[in-house]
This record gives sequence, C-alpha cells and structure tokens, in this order.
Amino acid sequence: MDFRLKHKEETIALAVEASGEGGFAAAIGDRRVAVSFARISEHQMRLTVDGRQVLAFVAETPDGKAVMVDGRTFLLADERASGARPRSGAANGPKTVTPPMPAVVTQILVAQGQAVEKGQGLLVVSAMKMDTLLTAPFAGVVTRVNVAEGEKVAPKQVLVDIEPAAAEPAAGRAS
Amino acid sequence: MFKKILIANRGEIAVRIMRTCKEMGIATVAVYSDADQQALHALEADEAVAIGPSEPSQSYLDIERIVAAVKQTGAEAVHPGYGFLAENADFAARCEREGIVFIGPPARVIRNLGDKIIARQIMQKGGVPIIPGMLETAQNPAAWLVHAEQIGFPLLIKAAAGGGGKGMRIVHHPGELAEACQAAAREAAAAFGDGTVYLEKFLPKSRHVEIQILADGQGHTIHLFERECSIQRRHQKIIEETPSPALTPALRAAMGRAAVAAARAAGYVNAGTVEFILDPEGRFYFLEVNTRLQVEHPITEMITGLDLVRHQIEIAAGRPLTLTQEEVHGRGHAIECRIYAEDPAQNFMPSPGRIAFLREPTGPGVRNDCGVYAGFEVPVEYDPILSKLVVHAETRELATRRMIRALASYAVLGVQTPIDFLLDVLASAPFQAGETYTDFIATHFADWSPDRKVLELAAIACVADAMAPKGRPAGRASEAAAHPGPWRTLNHWRL
Repeated sequence: MDFRLKHKEETIALAVEASGEGGFAAAIGDRRVAVSFARISEHQMRLTVDGRQVLAFVAETPDGKAVMVDGRTFLLADERASGARPRSGAANGPKTVTPPMPAVVTQILVAQGQAVEKGQGLLVVSAMKMDTLLTAPFAGVVTRVNVAEGEKVAPKQVLVDIEPAAAEPAAGRAS
Repeated sequence: MFKKILIANRGEIAVRIMRTCKEMGIATVAVYSDADQQALHALEADEAVAIGPSEPSQSYLDIERIVAAVKQTGAEAVHPGYGFLAENADFAARCEREGIVFIGPPARVIRNLGDKIIARQIMQKGGVPIIPGMLETAQNPAAWLVHAEQIGFPLLIKAAAGGGGKGMRIVHHPGELAEACQAAAREAAAAFGDGTVYLEKFLPKSRHVEIQILADGQGHTIHLFERECSIQRRHQKIIEETPSPALTPALRAAMGRAAVAAARAAGYVNAGTVEFILDPEGRFYFLEVNTRLQVEHPITEMITGLDLVRHQIEIAAGRPLTLTQEEVHGRGHAIECRIYAEDPAQNFMPSPGRIAFLREPTGPGVRNDCGVYAGFEVPVEYDPILSKLVVHAETRELATRRMIRALASYAVLGVQTPIDFLLDVLASAPFQAGETYTDFIATHFADWSPDRKVLELAAIACVADAMAPKGRPAGRASEAAAHPGPWRTLNHWRL
C-alpha cells in the first residue's frame, strides 16, 4: 500500500503495511516506523510512533489535508502519479489488493485477463477526498475484478485477484 | 454608567470589548456587514445590527450607517475598537454633535495628533523629545535639500497623515531626495487624501517602545509602563512584550514621564499610547500618539492586572480616574503573538478561507483573544487577524517558554497562520537575548521557510487519519472484535 503525499514541491512516499487493526508499519525512504493510532474525534488522532505518543489534528481543506503535529501545520495532498512504482520498502509489502481504509472505488484501471507488472496501478479508491492508487503487489494476470466503480470497500476486502506470473519477479511480463 | 454600548468594530477586538461590557452589566450592540453575518462578534452581542455590504467603506467605515445603528438601538456610547473609525476625528466630532459618547479622546485631540507635523509641534512645546527633523512641510526641492542637509543622511520621508508605513521612504543620498519626496507625496495623497510629507532623521538600529497612558476628564494622567513592539513585518507589529528587555528602571521612569507630558501637552483624555523610538544609546524620541485602544493592550493588562476597556468606559462616562501612579505596579512578563490568517513563507500574504478546525491554547497564564471559530469563513475584506495569543509568567524566559508551549498546542486548520514562524522566532537566540530591533525579521528571518522536522510525522498522521474510520469512538476496536456487531458484520463500513 503506497501513499504519495505532496507537500508544496516535495513528495513524501510512504510504503504502508497494516499490522492489525489500528496499526501499521511505514517505510519512508530509509526510515521504518511502527505506528499505532486511534481516532479521538473527527479532527483528532492519537498516534504512537516508535513508542512516542503524538496528538495530531487533521482537517480536510480545499487544498488538501491540513495536519498539525507539534505546533507545525502542513497541507498534504495525494499525488496520484500514474505508473508509480513502489519503493524498496514495499518489497515485502502486502500480497493482496485491498484498501487501507474504508473507501469508495473511483476508478478501475485493469480488466479481467490483463497481464500486470508488479507496482502497476490497478484501481483508485477515495476516502475523505483523498485518492489512493492501489498497485499490483506482484506481476501476474488479473483473474477477477471483484468490485465496480462507485462501490464502497473496506480493509481486508480483496478488490482484484491476481494469478502470480510463473517466474515472478524476474520475468515480470506474462505473455 | 451607560446602559448600552455599540461596538463599531468586528472580530477579536469587538468580542474583547463586549466581554468587559458584560462584566459591567452594560448591554452590547454589534454591527456587522454582509460578510460578517455569522461572525463571532455578531453572535456574542445582545443585539446585532446589519450595516451594509462587505465593502468596509459601505459598512464599518460608513459614519452615517454607524450613527443610524446607534440611534436605532438607543445605545448611549460607541466604542470604536482599533482601525476602522477609531482614529477618525470626523466620526468623533459627529458623535459629539449627535450627543453620542465616543469612547476615546475628544475629536480635536484626534485631529491634532493625527497630523504628525502638528503632533511634533505640540510635543516640542510640551518638552517631549522628538526625532530631529522638520516641524513644517516644504514646497520645493531646494527647500527639501536645505532641511535634509541640516538633518543629515540617512533620513526618513514621512507622510503627515501617515500610518502603516504608507508614504514612508528612507533616503541615503542627497541625489535621491527630490524624486523620493515626490513619490512619497504621491503615495500619501493616494492613501490618505493628503500628500503632505516631511523629513526626519532615520535611526537605523532602533527599537519601537510605546507607553500606555490613561487620562481622565479632570486632568489626572498616569502611565501603565511600556510595550516593546520592535518585531514587525511590513511596518506592522507581530510580537509585543512588556517589560521591554531594553529598559532600565530609570529609563522606564523617564519615558513614562515623557508620555504623561505628551498626553498633557495634547489635552489627552481616555486611554492612549505614546510611541517612541529608542536608540541603542538609550535616547528616546516621540514618534506618534495612537488615540485609541491598542491591538497589543492585553500585555499591559496582564502585568498590571488592570482592565483597560473598563477604564476607557469609566473615563468616557465622566468618572474620575482614582488610580494613582504609585498604585500601578507591573508584575512579571507578558508576550503577545498576533495570529493572522497569512502565510509567513509567502511574504506574509493573507490566507483567507474557512476555518475547518480550531483548538485554542489554554493553561496557566495563557489568554487568547479570539474572534473566530471552527466553521467560520475568514472574509477577504478585512484585517486578517484571527486572534492574539498572550502569555504571562514570572520572567521573560518563563514567558518565552510559556508562549512556545501555547503556540505548539494551537491548532488552526483551514487557513495559513504564522504559528510555526512564531515558534521559530521565540526559540531563536536573538529573540531570547532580547535583541529585538525593528529590523529583526529582515535581519534574522528574511528567508524563513517552515521547519520540516515533523513533516514525515504529519504524513504518518495523514495516513492514519485515512485509515481510521470516522464516526466511531476511539478504543472500541477490541470490544468490537470480542462482540461482533454491526461494525464487524458490515465489514467495518460506517453506518
């Protein structure tokens, strides 16, 4: 599960792997952090990041998500770079195509029978105006698309079934 | 005492004035423009009167509409706040003619002190030190040059009707003088309808130190110490504190005496502020008198324990000021940070918009004079001030720490604010050393950009927010797992 969040001119890429309910591991560049979280209210999140407790305040704005931590506020917007490749941190990432949060499917980019490369965009889900591109965890062939555009989906729900390519990952390309 | 007061202003200052009125048992009338129908000041008042379109000239600056609102509601007095009509002598005169009490000095005093050349003449006669320079304007380039050479370069061109840095120019060489005078005069004419300019000595490494005064209608005048307001952007203050780190007790007493002398020389009544320029050698010079409640008045209230608005209202009602100079004591240290809707990384450009979330700081010695709320659309038409965050503590060092703590807990989402900029200023070595000169931001923070240390943390929070379902209270996850309910059976999708 990759997030690419844009703050002004720079992009922060996070490879996120859910670790049970209310927790995830994130790789940001070379840094890996263990995060647990709980929602306090619509605009308040309680986070524990590598053992440190942090209160975060979050609100949707027309320019993206405003997030305040430690007195510093940042505007973060989802960057939906097409053809985005997962970073090295996602090498042992999720093996199924599932949304990280309750969301709505806004765009389906592949069809049944289609060969996909590892990291290829499969579909876009949107939650609270934040779009997230779900990518292929490995190379293979799409055997079934389980959802339709506009459908509500939830974590752990497998949205696209992929039959792994025989020589994955080296071959990558299924014929 | 008055039974009803109309507050001819908006935002945080209108709200602040209403608070004192309520404590005094005085009914309050708010006025609001179309843009401010849902504004906090309009909601907090006992009565609220619509006074016209969002355009300030057709609402908050429209004397006819304000006077009509006073008559319609039967208010006996008008508090003008700061800005808008607060220093408008015509408005004060109109109130006097209509039998409405203007909570401020007499119209004549506002008019005299509003003309900087007349004010300089008054102060010189009253024995108050003024910045070396002209006491009248001049009409031609040759005359400008004669004055300029007497004063010496660098010098400052100022507009007689000036304020906010408009019509102001620094001139370093005689060759630049004529053109700069003409440009300043044009700018002043456009901004104030009066192109009169004059010259005074430019004092480069200086501080802006002002003295709060209170004067009753019976001739009793006292001062409430100083406020150090040197940290400015675009000639507008952003951080103020009291006491000033630059003042010794002897200098404080001398400046206090000069401010009282200035008030007496001008025939001043009500609360006012005498602004001085202080040079590094401890010499001070009269700058101007602000004939109104100052934005930064809360820091004086914090150290003196006095309610300036209450004193303004009592003086306006004709009551004598019973407080003596000896009874006024300053305790501890107070700092104010102005929280504007603006982007310090974009040269402090205003940032209007809807406030999506607001969490105000609180705790010991913290006061936040706020004029907005979550859900409020900050209008583009008015001053972008959202609130004034004020702290009080035993010492300057403790007040600085307290301000940092308060700023770090202040969440304003939906508009840009200078909160992170202010955090960096407060934490900086020059601020902590008290090296607060008027060139502070240009010298130390010209190329400021937001601290990125916690950007990754913010990104993590952003992801967590996206992953955490809304509409479900925290800490229920394990319970839901133990007792499968609709959350679980409906695949965690919110109802």
